[in-house]
Amino acid sequence: MTIRAIAASVMASLLLIAPAARAQEKKGTGPVPEMSGLWLVQDPGSGSWTEWFDNVPKPKLQPDIIADNQRMAASEAAGNVVNRAPRTAACPIGNLPMMMASSPPINIVASRDEVLMGSESNRGRFVYTDGRPHRDVKAPSYVPTGFGDSIGHWEGDTLVVDTIGFAPRVCDSRRPVMLVPGGGRAKDTTHLVERYRLVGPDELSVTFTWEDSTVFLAPHTYSYTYKRLPEGIPIENNEEPAAAQPDRQYTTTKAEK
Amino acid sequence: MLLAWCVSALAQVGTAARPDISGYWELRFDSFNVPRASLTPAAQGALEMRRAKDQEAIRGCVNVGVPAVMDDRGVLDIRQSPAVIGMVARSPSSTRYVYTDGRKHPDAEELEGTTNGHSIGRWQGDTLVVDTVGFNERGITAIPGGGYRTSRAHLTELYKLAVSGDQLTVTFTWTDPTVFRTPHSYTFRYYKVPAVPEPRVLNCIQNDADRARFLTERPAPARF
Repeated sequence: MTIRAIAASVMASLLLIAPAARAQEKKGTGPVPEMSGLWLVQDPGSGSWTEWFDNVPKPKLQPDIIADNQRMAASEAAGNVVNRAPRTAACPIGNLPMMMASSPPINIVASRDEVLMGSESNRGRFVYTDGRPHRDVKAPSYVPTGFGDSIGHWEGDTLVVDTIGFAPRVCDSRRPVMLVPGGGRAKDTTHLVERYRLVGPDELSVTFTWEDSTVFLAPHTYSYTYKRLPEGIPIENNEEPAAAQPDRQYTTTKAEK
Repeated sequence: MLLAWCVSALAQVGTAARPDISGYWELRFDSFNVPRASLTPAAQGALEMRRAKDQEAIRGCVNVGVPAVMDDRGVLDIRQSPAVIGMVARSPSSTRYVYTDGRKHPDAEELEGTTNGHSIGRWQGDTLVVDTVGFNERGITAIPGGGYRTSRAHLTELYKLAVSGDQLTVTFTWTDPTVFRTPHSYTFRYYKVPAVPEPRVLNCIQNDADRARFLTERPAPARF
């Protein structure tokens, strides 16, 4: 056998086994795509955070949510652009819609039973794929967060993530509510379904569908595309403590109380 | 290009049969085997200053970082995929990532120091060898047995499953010519615990002096 033939044979063998190598077995399923990696959301060039965040199909919102959006916009136009609510133990951590839309890459570690999603915000999401049901998010022992309670399962090549149990309000973002792209809300009554699918070796599509009859008149759906950063280095939020940054102290403006 | 992809695929095939250290792990009273570190005179003289700095970091809810995330008394969540391993502690901290896809550490000038450092891992038989550099000096810098983490620190860890996968032993070895006279090694033994329902996240309140005191005034570790 010539060297060229040997090389061709090795290459053919690699091509046969490689698809399996890029996948891993999940409990109760066959091989599934390997989504682990550092993923950067693709902003089509909106130019500002607000424009990017709202660069989704417009949701049909309940009238009181529209009114609340107008009130917040007026407050911000009047100069109240800093949420000065004090940080306390009651402040829920995390902000799922903001994390998934933000420029710091999402670092996904997809193990068999659990998927971690981290970002610059340090804390990350936990998506349980071991078949467990949702926690009882109405139980007094449940501590709601801005990430909610997420469980996932595979439907073919798509990871379907179901999230409930969001915090009713937040206090560490600019607004006292957790905004959903397009102007909606994520709160204790909200249900989110995400569908993660590799559409290329280094391209991940995530479709978000938000449902909450107190917020939306119909399910609100939009998609983001993320590009893989093969050699990316995770960023750590190295903010100094608030005590060392007086201008970053959080107190509530009159309009937000 | 094709060849590179095939080599990458082959590397991942190599990881397929490796042990899976994913799970929820906790330290117990007999989990520690920590000898005293042999410190340089300069490090010995800096201990009090470092201790005060650590307390300030705890009060400020700064990410605790390595080694404190590995020393957390809450459950440590370790998740392993073919290319990367994630570790999440209960204390305020970034997720720790260990890359097992064959990459190298970034060049020093590209590497911004973090509390967890930059970790790469490789399997030697059934042992995961993790190499970490690129630390900064924020968070809890105290190292079990004495000494502290600096930007010049280099950490090597050996992870090995034991007792049919119910235990995980991790041997830590720190080298840092500014802190240790000789490499400082100690071993932790983690016990696997069942799935826990809560994301095990501590909602840190800044300026909690009692918490800072509790976390920095530890009794001497027991040996097993």
